[in-house]
Amino acid sequence: MRSLRILLALSVLLLLPQAMALGEGSVVPQLSAPAGDGSTLSLEQFRGQVVYVDFWASWCAPCRQAIPALDTLHQRYKAQGFTVLGVNVDTDRKSAQRMIDQLVPKFPIVFDPKGQWPEAFGLQDMPSSFLIDAKGVVRFVKKGFRERDVPQIEAAIKAVLGEKP
Amino acid sequence: MKMNSVLKMSVALLMLALTGCANVQPWQRGDLAKPGMAFESDQLLTTYRQHVAVSKEAASGDTTLGGGGCGCN
Repeated sequence: MRSLRILLALSVLLLLPQAMALGEGSVVPQLSAPAGDGSTLSLEQFRGQVVYVDFWASWCAPCRQAIPALDTLHQRYKAQGFTVLGVNVDTDRKSAQRMIDQLVPKFPIVFDPKGQWPEAFGLQDMPSSFLIDAKGVVRFVKKGFRERDVPQIEAAIKAVLGEKP
Repeated sequence: MKMNSVLKMSVALLMLALTGCANVQPWQRGDLAKPGMAFESDQLLTTYRQHVAVSKEAASGDTTLGGGGCGCN
């Protein structure tokens, strides 16, 4: 019977990373990472704003599609207290920079080659995005990206922005 | 006694699962996405070879069932 308990505990341990993924209603962890200009950006700095955290990498084809679309949303709603925050997870900074130079997104980007952010968010897919409200609570999670997903993402952003006092 | 053996076997299998493969996280797949990691290095040549193979083997049902084996489809 004792062995059975140990076995169960080990099984739970194996499944733990999946269970720890941030979902709707989760409070975001305190994280920081360097931005392109050498400064450090933290999630805490964006408290009070609606933030769309987008995890991307240069080797991820849908990420390349998502960045221009998210940039449009960033420009459209930034005056209302919204921002997109790109989290690049490339281990090779040059590859990331090459893609930034091609797409020229206007939203802030942090670089996390060690993958501390995706680990803390419990990322299960690339790309993945998390819409975080002004209180730091995850309100919407988007796994993957297709052009036809944009209206759904925009509707979620508008809904959360509409709640702001 | 029988239960004990089942438990031992389960623990052994679990240990095997724990040590068997490295768990590559979604954000760690950059190296796997490099061209050098592809099964075929030349995509155009691969498509061409596949077309020839499919045309030849279509009668026996290769990757598709179309064509008549004439090499012209």
